[in-house]
Amino acid sequence: MRIRTVLLISLIFCCVAFGAFFRPDVRPGYGVTGIGWLSDYFTPFKGTNMDTPIYFMDSGVAGPTFLLMGGTHAREISSTTAALVFIENAIVTKGRVIVMPFSNISAVSIPDQMGSAPHFIMVETRSGPRFLAYGDRRTDPADQGEPDPVVFKHAQSDFTLNDGAEARNLNRQYPGLADGNSTQQLAYAIIEMIKAEKVDFNLDMHEAGTPDKYVDSSGNVRSGSSLAYTLVCHPDALEIGAVTIMEVEAFYGVSLKLEESNRAFRGLSHLEIRDATDSLSFLSETPNPGQDTWRENPDVMYDEAYPLKHRVALQLQIVLSLFNAYEMFMGETIEVIGVPTYDQMMREGLFEFLN
Amino acid sequence: MFFVSTGLALKDPGDDLRLEGPFLVTSGGQSPGALQFTVIAKMVNIDYTFERLVKVGEVDISKFKTFVVVVGASGKGLGAAGIDIDVEINRVVELAKLAKANDLKIVICNLEGVSRRGVSSDRIVTALAPFASVYFIKTDANEDGFFTELSKEAGVPLATFDVTVGLKDVLAEFVEKPN
Repeated sequence: MRIRTVLLISLIFCCVAFGAFFRPDVRPGYGVTGIGWLSDYFTPFKGTNMDTPIYFMDSGVAGPTFLLMGGTHAREISSTTAALVFIENAIVTKGRVIVMPFSNISAVSIPDQMGSAPHFIMVETRSGPRFLAYGDRRTDPADQGEPDPVVFKHAQSDFTLNDGAEARNLNRQYPGLADGNSTQQLAYAIIEMIKAEKVDFNLDMHEAGTPDKYVDSSGNVRSGSSLAYTLVCHPDALEIGAVTIMEVEAFYGVSLKLEESNRAFRGLSHLEIRDATDSLSFLSETPNPGQDTWRENPDVMYDEAYPLKHRVALQLQIVLSLFNAYEMFMGETIEVIGVPTYDQMMREGLFEFLN
Repeated sequence: MFFVSTGLALKDPGDDLRLEGPFLVTSGGQSPGALQFTVIAKMVNIDYTFERLVKVGEVDISKFKTFVVVVGASGKGLGAAGIDIDVEINRVVELAKLAKANDLKIVICNLEGVSRRGVSSDRIVTALAPFASVYFIKTDANEDGFFTELSKEAGVPLATFDVTVGLKDVLAEFVEKPN
């Protein structure tokens, strides 16, 4: 109990001591060859709560460059946790992997505004207790630089959403604006990084509600989320996505749905990153009970059907299968050791792979 | 002939139904399932042409021996194509009529399982049912026996597979290899 208290106080102290900028707990493994910041590509972010660390894992052997993004929506913790497992365990032996575990770090710095999960969740890792951050879907309003509009409008199109708070949703802003609000600038900075680093393909990891049916307050049976267990692909990347999900299903028994980016729905990473850069874009969705509005006390960590272990293992297996599928169509790919397969993590546990 | 397989272990479908290339492949509902079909078709070296929105009048059907409709209604896909479900059903039914008139074998395929069962997807299947030569169906799409009933009614084979890539084995069994 005492260790937990000290850890939590240290975490809070770090936030306060460094100008209230949220700095996450990442414990890189030997595979990390360099650490940078998003502000290296967009200097206005330097020293702000929008700047986020980027981890480079370079094999030194010629090959493609892959970007793995977690924390676009900071409450979707299979994404941030899978990115941490990758950083802390993977050794890249061909090509280069760039990992941005907390893409919208401002959103990580505040608790989930729509759910009930605690902001920090203590877990026992292979090196002792540690906290995972469960943040919000959107940028902290204090970091946005302007109030939410009544209606959100995508900067580069006429696409609108009635919820003005979506102006703080990173995954509605791509390709972003250099002189826009903070979330638009964040999308712009990520695009600049992808261009500068010549990223060949990328995966933006997400979570959705579970597919479970439920009974609403009127007694009607409702379908659960149709988004979970999905791999969304840019039209240029659809064949690679098709092979990816077939491998995950055939070898690991988890069926995923393949979806193609909808050109009518603007601002999303899987569509706009590829349109704005040379990088083939993918987006994965795992089921998080914490995003089911109908659940009274969702367990975001140890739910019987959708434990975090299953969700993180699936995210990482999608990454590994994506590497295999990429090679099938592009002739070469990333080679990596140390990343647990889906079966391995389900067997050995998630926290065994966190430092 | 009536034939049901489960998973990868297929019985010999006999001489009643052999599929020959070239295949014309289209989507029925604009989900990505049709593209998945082509990925698997490549694996077993099937000669195919994939046109997700092909219409009667835009294709020389006499060049093909088999017509495949991969059914899966997708709101996103239909929206992206700028068509509604009624237009889509009409498109594939007209193609099926043309294919039948030209003695093509017609395959109705569900490759994405239960996630592509719903009112719109089932409307497409039902509209195409009178033209079906065979059904290739992912097992979890047939848990309610929907495709079993259709195949029984029409007296045409139904082959099922548990995982998407299992379609490879189904195709290998049904498709006649060129000499």
